[in-house]
This record gives sequence, C-alpha cells and structure tokens, in this order.
Amino acid sequence: MEKRIIQLTVNGEEYDLAVAPNRTLLEVLRDDLSLTGAKAGCDDGACGTCTVLLDGQPVRSCLTLAVEVQGKAITTIEGLTADGDLHPIQQAFVERGAIQCGFCSPGMILVTKTLLDENPHPTEQEAREAISGNFCRCTGYAKIVEAMLAAAEMVEGGCHE
Amino acid sequence: MSEHTVAGKRMPRIDSVAKATGDARYTADIALPRMLHGKILRSPHAHARILHIDASKAERLSGVRAVVTGQDVAGVRWGVFRYTRDQAMLALDKVRYIGEDVAAVAAEDEETALEALSLIEVEYEPLPAVFDPVEAMMPEAPRIHDHADNNVNIFVPIEVGDIERGFQEAHYVREDHFSANEHGYYQAEPYAVLVDCDSSGNLEIWLSNASPHTKAKALANLLKMPLHKVKVRKVASGGAFGGRSDVFPGEFIAALLSRKARRPVKIVYTREESLTAIRQVHSMAVDVKTGVKADGTFIATDVKVIMDGGAYSSTGPIATSVPFLVWEETYRLPNVRFHGYRVYTNKPVRGMYGSHGRAFLGGLGMQLDMIAEELGIDPVEIRLRNALHAGDVQATGSKVFSCGLSESIRQAAEKSGWKEKRGQLPYGKGIGMGCNGMMVGFPMGIRGGSSAYIKFNEDAGATLISGVADNGQGNDSMMVQIAADVLGMRMDEINLVSADSEITTLDQGSYSQAAAFVSGNAVRAAAMDARKQILEIASEMLETDVKALELGDHRVYDVKDADRNVPLHKIIRYALLRNKPIMGRGSYMPHVDQKREWVSNPRGQQAGTFSFGAFVVEVEVDVETGRVKLTRVTGAHDCGFAINPMAVEGQFDGNVGRAGVGASLLEEHVWDGGQALNANMLEHKLPLSVDMPSVIQRIIVESMDPEGPFGAKEAGLAGAMNLFQAVGNAIYDAIGVWLHEFPFTPERVLEALEKKGE
Repeated sequence: MEKRIIQLTVNGEEYDLAVAPNRTLLEVLRDDLSLTGAKAGCDDGACGTCTVLLDGQPVRSCLTLAVEVQGKAITTIEGLTADGDLHPIQQAFVERGAIQCGFCSPGMILVTKTLLDENPHPTEQEAREAISGNFCRCTGYAKIVEAMLAAAEMVEGGCHE
Repeated sequence: MSEHTVAGKRMPRIDSVAKATGDARYTADIALPRMLHGKILRSPHAHARILHIDASKAERLSGVRAVVTGQDVAGVRWGVFRYTRDQAMLALDKVRYIGEDVAAVAAEDEETALEALSLIEVEYEPLPAVFDPVEAMMPEAPRIHDHADNNVNIFVPIEVGDIERGFQEAHYVREDHFSANEHGYYQAEPYAVLVDCDSSGNLEIWLSNASPHTKAKALANLLKMPLHKVKVRKVASGGAFGGRSDVFPGEFIAALLSRKARRPVKIVYTREESLTAIRQVHSMAVDVKTGVKADGTFIATDVKVIMDGGAYSSTGPIATSVPFLVWEETYRLPNVRFHGYRVYTNKPVRGMYGSHGRAFLGGLGMQLDMIAEELGIDPVEIRLRNALHAGDVQATGSKVFSCGLSESIRQAAEKSGWKEKRGQLPYGKGIGMGCNGMMVGFPMGIRGGSSAYIKFNEDAGATLISGVADNGQGNDSMMVQIAADVLGMRMDEINLVSADSEITTLDQGSYSQAAAFVSGNAVRAAAMDARKQILEIASEMLETDVKALELGDHRVYDVKDADRNVPLHKIIRYALLRNKPIMGRGSYMPHVDQKREWVSNPRGQQAGTFSFGAFVVEVEVDVETGRVKLTRVTGAHDCGFAINPMAVEGQFDGNVGRAGVGASLLEEHVWDGGQALNANMLEHKLPLSVDMPSVIQRIIVESMDPEGPFGAKEAGLAGAMNLFQAVGNAIYDAIGVWLHEFPFTPERVLEALEKKGE
C-alpha cells in the first residue's frame, strides 16, 4: 500500500512520518515512534489498553487510523511525565496499590486524566463508569477506583498543574 | 522478629512506577535489530489426518526468511510429566483441535508473514470428532490418541477409610450434580514471545512466564540444547492466573524460526489465538454424594468428576486432583472416594486456572448448605464443625501446621452481619458463605525449592538475586521487602535481579502459590546470612562480641551503647579489604513428601503449609431479568502473615472480580462443535468496573505459620477458590432456588425460577 507523508503531534512533539493509510495510530505510536506505553490487548476496541488522548479525549488507538489524526494533540502515557515527575494520577496509582500486572495501567491513567479534567470531584460511581471501557484482570478495579478518587484530591490540593 | 521495619507495612511496589509511566517493557514492546515477525498456520479442523504439507511457495515469497512444519521436528512432543508427553509442538501426522499449530513462517514484516501462511498448502483428511467428555468415553467414540482407551487422559482414584461403612453410619445422605462450561484466562496481555538464537549457539528468550527455570529446561529438552545455552530473560508480565505455567508451541516455534533464519523472531498472538491456541479453563461435570452425622459433620464423601481436558494433557494430573485436594484441605473428611477423570476431546487444551474447579468446589460448597438446611444447622456453624484445625491430618495425609480457618469463618460472619442477614433479607436479596484451604506449594522434586543470594556494593546498596517470577501479583516487591526488613535497609536501597534463568538460581516458579513461602524463605535466609557476615565484620571493627551487636538504620551498633557504632558502608569496605566480601546466600526446600505423586501415589505431605479463607457475599437478584449483582463482599483470609497488606488486599479484590463476578456469573465459552464462537473480549463477558460490588471488606487473619518467612504462607487463592460457593449460596438465600450449572447467567436464573414455579 502506498505510503503517505503525515505530520503527528505527540506529547507536544511534531513528527513527520511516512505511513500506509491502513496503519492504526497504535501501530504507528508503537512501531514508528517506539512509544510502547499504549498496548495491543484485543485489537477489537474492547479492552482499552490502547487508550490515548486525542485533544484531551480518550480514544482506542487500535481503531483509529494514523492518517485521521493529523492536526490533533495526541497524548500517550509517556506524555504525562514530560517534566520528569509523576503526574498526581500516576502517583496515586502507585501509592494506592492500583497497579498489579500493569498492562491496563496506561489506559486507566489516561482515562482518569480526562475524567478529572472534566469533573474534578467525581463520585465513586462516576469513577467506575469512566473506566468501564477499560478491562483489568488483576485488581477487581477496587484500588483503581480508590486511586482515582485519591488523585482527584491530590489534583485539587494543588500538587500539580 | 517482632519489630519489623518494612515487613507487614503497606508499601508501594517496586515495579509500579515503571508500570505507571509506560516504561515497563512487556514482550511485545521489545524490538531487536534485524528482528523478524513470526506467524503460525493453524488447523481449521477439529480432528484430521495431515496427508501432505507443501510450503515451497511460502519459502519462495520475497521477504520470507524461514518456514517450519512438523517435518522439521518429527517426534518432538511436550508433556509436563514424563507420562503425559502427548502434544506435538508442531503437528506431524494429525491435528486434534481447531487452532492447533501446523506450520510457521518468519518474515521481514507481519503482512509478508501472513501472505506466506496463505501459500502453505496442507492436505487434510477430516476424521470424526468428539466434543463432549461423556460422549468421548463411550465405546463408539472416535479415538483421539492411540494410547488412550475411551479417551481417558488421566484417572485419579483416591480412597480413604471405608466409604461404604461411612454411608451406612450416616444420619443423612444426599447426592447432587453440578457442571460448568469452559472459560478463558483473559490475561490483559496476549501471548507474545521473542527469541534470539545467536551464532555461538545461545538462545535468548523473552516471554511472560511463571517459571523461567522450567521454561528453560523444557526448551533445552525440546531443542536438544545444553541448559546453560538457553537463557530465559526477565520481562514484565501482563498477568498469568495459571495460564503461563505450561510450555507452549509458540516459544518452541519461535526458537525454530530464529535458529533457521539466524535472526531474532517475535511472535505476538491475536486475542483469539491467546484464547484458543494456548490453554483454556476446564469444563467439568461433578457428581457428589455426601453423608453426614446428625451434628452435620462429614462421615462419607464420594465425588466423581469428569473434566473436559481438550486435545492434550497439559497440567492434567494436577488439574484433575486440585479441586478435590482443596476440599480435603478445608474440612475433616474421614471416609473418601474420589474418582477424577480428565478426558480428551477435540477442543483446545485446558490448563490450571487460579479459580479452577468452580463446578466442583462451588457444588460441594452449595451441597454443604443444602445439608445444613436439612439438618437445621446454620451454614456458618456447619462449616465450623467440619473445619480443619492446626495439628489435624488431612484425608490423604498432609499435616496442618497453622490454621486460621475457624477464625476466618467467625470474622467473615461477624463483620458481614451474617446473623442479622441470613434468611432475613427481603426476597431477591441474599447472603452466602464459601470456605477453602489451599496448598502452599506441592512436591516438585529438585524444582520444588528456591535459592537466592545478595551482594553489597561499596556504597552499601545491595543487589538481591532470586529466581522468583512475578506475573503481576507483586512477588518481586515482596522479595525486596523481606530482604530490606532483615537488613534494616530501605526497599529502594536494594535492587532485584529476578526471573532470569541464566543469572538466578533455581526457583519453583510462581505457580502452586509458593512464592512467599518458598522463594521468600530463600530470600530471608540469604539476607540473614548477609546480616550475620555484616555483624561479624563489625564485631572485628568494634572489638565487641557479635552477640552484643545489632544491625539497623544503616549501621551496626552496640546494644548497650548505641554511640559505639559503625556505618554499613564502612563495614562493606572493610570486608572487601579483609578479603571477606559480604555475599549472603540462602535456600529453602519445603518439607513435602517427595514420593507423593498426583496419580500414582496421592498420599503423604502435599505442601509445606496451607492457607485458609472464608468469604461472605451479598447478592441482589433481579427476578424479572435474572441478573445477579454482587453488592458486598466480606472476605477473611489466613495468609499466615501479610508481608505487604496492600498487596494482599489487591489479591482479595482481584479474586472478587475473577471468581466472584467472572467465574460465578459471567464467563463461559459458547461452541459450535470444536469452534469457540466467542473467543474475543466483546462476546465472552468479563467483569468490568461497573459489575463489581462497591464494598469489599478485607480481613487479614494472621496465623503466623511456624515455617513461613515472618509467618507468611500465601495470599492469592482464598477467594479464588471459594467465592463460587458463596455466590451460589447467596442466590439460594435470595430467591430460594439452587443453581447447578456455572456460570449463573440470567438465563439459568430465570430457568431455575420457572422450574420452581411449576
């Protein structure tokens, strides 16, 4: 398939890339940019491990074509620690034991980012609903929800942004 | 060891920052220079003879660097046991399930590899197939393996006491039947493997696994290589739950391709391949006949289980035995007859799962409630009357050294409000309990022990080396926590090297629930050894008897005069100068009966110790839709001692998801013959955040095992093995019907309600 030259903005950096039009954003992030924080878990859009943010909104990068997202701000999990420090959400996930095997963690953390950006004081039910498209086999989600609510307090407390 | 500095504390895990930032490297994330992409051609037939394979067109396709078929490896068969070597790692003459590995290619990119697969011509002669284990045992059923009459793969008979007399003496006897469909492991990470065979005859391999040393030995055998040339490297693992324990064709095939192409080869399975071409969770049907005395104590237990093992043995002898063993590890059973059959069918291969045996343990645990009701005994009380205690000997001869089962039952009942709720909640709401004991390790010969060592750098930082594997449950962090506690150091001052078969010493692996007890004991011993050496050097430096010295807070000090002290880094340097570098070593082998064998000799000490648990669940049943929702779970788990309570809690929660919601209510595969129709994450229902109960009360019971590190046993299998009973019992309490088939889907709930109404 003939490649096209595209420009992607990922974590604030601009990249010129030659990609075939059938390649997904997930493939380009992982294979071309070596940003392997987003994972391929099902390739069906079902599990949420490939979640990245597009202009601040979570998308399934396995169902998104790379050529579609030019001109949009793409944020991957690697972009959350751009200044070297853990984002409060990441810190809360670490401190609350919300991470076991860790395969779903990047997706969970990015979805939490959008939730807290839009709703700084989510209820427990709102937190549960926010991650209801992200599958985790290890944690039973309990400590993830705890971490999300703790992160809300940390962000509110002004320890970041 | 009463004054812990780190052990017993809620510590963030050492691996979690890398996982939160996306830095953690899983197999599929790794790329090596000149790496090729491998793909596997799979059987479209459930049962067929392979007449001919022609791969010449695939070999000629531009970009293809290696092609392998069964012809390249005629006769190479895998089996976990010497007597179960029945799985060809690449099919030669026959395929026995849809998805079986037939041929493979390595190419410059994935598209070329896929195209090459389509060019491989395979001529099959389809054979009659069988998909039901009971049908497979009939005389007229197709024969799947030449060696297996009636397609029986494994038969485990256990007889204890006098079962007939037990039934004669029983006050009450009842018989029930329970069954469960297959389901999937659904680790978040699909199967992936990367192999690099170099020109010096070394094989390096990266893959999620439960035991690097077992993988290395298996590959060395299969590939006829010396063990030291096979190097299983450490990589982050995206979950196991029993599904990474065995050895799979994928790693063997990747090695063959890499060897042939003389380049690294990576194979990443699709989700469907991960679900059908590795291992599934056994389906099973259980007949259970139990006799009790008037006081509700067991006098006779007669259980027959037929498990659908799929096409090959895998961990069959273990899988056939474990549900029964869990039952005898929970209750006093004076007279027992257990007949466990694992039967070959033309379905994907089944393995061990963290919640293996839902029909078995769920069924027995529900029958116990039925008996309690008949006798007018409270379900909590009947469990207490039958529960094992420290000092007891189980049916097949294992002694119990520490036991917090009764305390777990009492605490779970008390903190769940059992007395006020059981039988008293409004229609549609119910409460139920489940219990289990669990072997901590099992006899594995030379592979059943673990060893570790620890070295110090001149700045007093240390590196701990252990063979332990971490599949996400936190074993790595636990090892560092144990060492840090013994050495009076912070966890971040100790680096861990683990799960590398070349660098680390033998370890039993992270199946059999033995990581804390066995690997942890080895690490503790290594740290104690280093501590002893440190104190001896300090004794020289301070010219004080070693008995008067204590290590803590990065120094060794005189207990009577803390001002007389020497910092740790000076001790390390002094030791180097004296040619006595601090190098701690430790090992541990659990006290099990090494003559015990799953099939031929199921008697003797099964495990070094046993953990216990009791879980209470509350459910709401929507009688219009049949939907069951868990609203509250109260679990009590005797894990011996919680090395990291936060990690132990994580195991409670995960089990509520996998066993309480997933295995009990949602998960099953649907079939058209040998074809799984829902081998994906959209149609095979899995627990999501909104399906979980919002309240999980976690009660850690610490029985302080005399042998465990700081008293620890294991912390992963309590809810995993008893929540299905609790859910079944709670549903009965809610709507007055017993469900006999897992999972308890809305259809089955409605069907049972309809039957009751008739």
